[in-house]
Amino acid sequence: MRTHSLNKRFHLVCSFIVLLSVILVVGLYYLQIVYNQKYKLCSDRNRIRVTHLLPKRGRILTADGQVIAWNIHKYRLIMERCSKGDFTKNMQLLSGKISLSQDDILSLEQKYKSRARFMVIKDELSWQEYVNISMMFFKFNNISIENGYIRGYPAPLVYSHITGYVSQNNQLQLQTGKSGIESYCNEKLTGTLGSLQTEINVLGKTIRHLSREDPTDGEDLTLTIDSKLQEYVHGLMSEHKAGGCVVMNLKGEILAIVSIPSYDANMLAGKMTHAQWQSISQNSLYPLMNRVTSCAYPPGSIFKIVVAYAALCEGVIDANTTVFCGGGIKQDGHTFHCWNRGGHGKVNVRDALSYSCDCFFFEIAKKIGIDCIVKYAKLFGYGAVTGVELAGEVAGLLPDHSWKFLKYGTTWKPFETMIAGIGQGALLATLIQSAVMMARLYSENFDLSPTLLPVKTCRAEDKINTRVGSILKEALHQVCVKGTAANSCKVSYGIAGKTGSSQVRKLKKNMVGIDQTKIEWKYRDHAFFVGVAPYPKVDYVVAVFVEHGGGGARVAAPIARKIFDWLIVGVK
Amino acid sequence: MTFPRNISLFNESKILLLLLVLILGISMCGQYSAFNGELCSPIGKHALRIMLGIILMCAIACTDLKFWNNFAYFFYVFTFIALVIVEIRGAIRLGAQRWIDLYIFSLQPSELMKLALVLSLARYYSLFSLRDIDKLSTHMVPLLATIAPAILVMRQPDLGTALILLGTGFCVIFLEGFPLRILKIASIILALLLPCSWFLLHDYQRNRILTFLDPDRDPLGMGYHILQSKIAIGSGGLWGKGFLNGTQSKLDFLPEKNTDFIFTTITEEFGFMGGICIIILLISIVFYFLWIGRLSKVLFTKIMCYGLAILLFLHTCINIAMVIGLMPIVGIPLPFISYGGTSMITFMSSCGLIVASCRYGRNFNRKI
Repeated sequence: MRTHSLNKRFHLVCSFIVLLSVILVVGLYYLQIVYNQKYKLCSDRNRIRVTHLLPKRGRILTADGQVIAWNIHKYRLIMERCSKGDFTKNMQLLSGKISLSQDDILSLEQKYKSRARFMVIKDELSWQEYVNISMMFFKFNNISIENGYIRGYPAPLVYSHITGYVSQNNQLQLQTGKSGIESYCNEKLTGTLGSLQTEINVLGKTIRHLSREDPTDGEDLTLTIDSKLQEYVHGLMSEHKAGGCVVMNLKGEILAIVSIPSYDANMLAGKMTHAQWQSISQNSLYPLMNRVTSCAYPPGSIFKIVVAYAALCEGVIDANTTVFCGGGIKQDGHTFHCWNRGGHGKVNVRDALSYSCDCFFFEIAKKIGIDCIVKYAKLFGYGAVTGVELAGEVAGLLPDHSWKFLKYGTTWKPFETMIAGIGQGALLATLIQSAVMMARLYSENFDLSPTLLPVKTCRAEDKINTRVGSILKEALHQVCVKGTAANSCKVSYGIAGKTGSSQVRKLKKNMVGIDQTKIEWKYRDHAFFVGVAPYPKVDYVVAVFVEHGGGGARVAAPIARKIFDWLIVGVK
Repeated sequence: MTFPRNISLFNESKILLLLLVLILGISMCGQYSAFNGELCSPIGKHALRIMLGIILMCAIACTDLKFWNNFAYFFYVFTFIALVIVEIRGAIRLGAQRWIDLYIFSLQPSELMKLALVLSLARYYSLFSLRDIDKLSTHMVPLLATIAPAILVMRQPDLGTALILLGTGFCVIFLEGFPLRILKIASIILALLLPCSWFLLHDYQRNRILTFLDPDRDPLGMGYHILQSKIAIGSGGLWGKGFLNGTQSKLDFLPEKNTDFIFTTITEEFGFMGGICIIILLISIVFYFLWIGRLSKVLFTKIMCYGLAILLFLHTCINIAMVIGLMPIVGIPLPFISYGGTSMITFMSSCGLIVASCRYGRNFNRKI
């Protein structure tokens, strides 16, 4: 009896042993066979460290070889993840050798606690600090000095609006363009990241190199900017508080592009103090705004060119159709004045452009309607970004029925068409759009678009109406011979252009004809001038905008004249 | 005590010798790899321990089992006193105190207790007649003899060894006919008491259990051991990463790679096949012990063989189960393979006792 039951128990224990052994084998099977891939990945993640190898960012050059954005060599002090003891020892050794503020030390300790794989102790070592550390390098653990680059802009005030600036990704130390061409052509300038795979042990110490993929440096960008012209234009514009200017040729290549006020891109690319940032971001003149591409204003009288083109093409008027200007016309119970309260008398399209007669354009705008104006404005490049290689370009605004309805829920009124006909009201355009309009008119090519990079082949499929074009070209030349710009632009080589002064507020009775220099700066008219020269064999387009400059003829046109003189005659 | 008359009668022990050669070979390879493939002094020390172990095994194999039978109770009492001394000193010094420094070598009484318990249980049960076996009173002394040292060991605190002692003791008592009905009642009560035991555990032991239930709870702290061990074993695959190519162990991601996690080190490099080999070898030794027990005509030898087999199996099972994440980490070495002298001495002595049983078991007279 006993032996029998004890036998049973013995067999029970034996089978129990077998059962547990099988469970062990099954457990092992699951770990090693079923989940093998998962754990292999974990094990590789443990032992392999991927370090990014940074490519050198491409430089930016002007057409004549001037470097406007480059890389400045620097030394970075880096600490890899290490034990608490090593960390404090390193920090002790470093104190006195390099300058670190209390805040820096605190943030480093914070970073250490977050178990980052490595941290940058100091981004830019001075030469003295570099020497100090190198001398006692053997005393440190897990510390290395890395070669790095910071972005430098040799002439920041002149070129900042073109180059833009970069910001540095702290973890990767990779620079990314934040505005201007640095942002627009970021990929090209950056190149491709390389990587270095190293095997590390549990303390993060490198055991051996596994593989290395070299980075590809970014390409150098050569722009169409002429550095001498750019500096000259910048000098001219600097006399004013705020404004913009763009110079391009008839291929659409931009030779100079200036926006005032400017800023120091070096400051934004590097470490800047809070006060410095405040001085830029809180400035009431918004120095970070590119007034050529990123600010849209009512284009004013310049827009009359588009309206005239539309009316001539649609056959509403011909070159000799006249309209009587008596200083204003009545519409919807309001009187809409011409800028010349005395009136221009009978004017045809040539005279209307020459003297910038508002009544003429009120009339023809009413005749062709807003939809037609918008259609032609689009052909000339208004209402859409021009595609210039500067980040942050805006499209402006071409108002029409649906826009009005969506925005205000009301219908479009005829007087709004009239105001749009003289480039005012809700209509908004950037300066570069106006420059493009002129370039399209004189190159007779609706496919032209502005660019900062050399044009190889110029697309020209959509041609303008040559008959109408020649009427307008001649009329714009008359502007500079006997019209609004005659005072400043009557030159032997010939300029054709259009002035524009757009109001920034509704005129009151007592202000009519008041001297613009006498009123407060922010209430002065915006001054515009777009012009081409030499006429009739046109090479250059210049668009000038002076914010609250007063009048286009008085302020903007003389600047354009000086630029044309510089370009064509070579007068400095 | 009589000297063995016929040494050539080691028939059955030939199998054991073969198994031992294999497992000790693996042990050397594993340790060599765990020390990063360098012929450093710890490797020499390990080899020396194996040599000493073999000598000890032979010495014990040559002894007369009558001696062990007579000596069992004395051995138990001696070890128990040592445990109490450790406990008292630990209470004075605070913290873990598991050994007595005997000036020549340090003695870990809890390790000796494993053998002492098996021997004294074997002696105790061998003296009982068939009739007494069903009485509960017969089993009270063995139960007490098992639980008392287990509690002392647990207070050191060494949960792993305490578990081993309890497991071995209970298994032997169960094998020797502990009444089934009482077993049923006791297991129900135990199941109810289990949650209460939570409050008896030390903080670090509770943390271990919580970590076992959820290793991701603290992957860089408590969960680190088990997580890294699982990664190491799992990344080994079918055939492993190759000898000396284990990245987890070579780059020190794996903690305790020589001792408790030696199984991990080996299976990372030799994969599923290596792991199976070790399990099969160790389980073979367990069954060899059981087989010798079966063959034995003498009760003392029989029970001792069973006890030693269970001791060996529990070590193997708990160690492997914990490194592959089926059990909380309790700090149990893998028999024959882990680095460390005490465990090597324990298991080589067990082998010696088994060989001695082969020789004497069949004509061991119950009336000594």
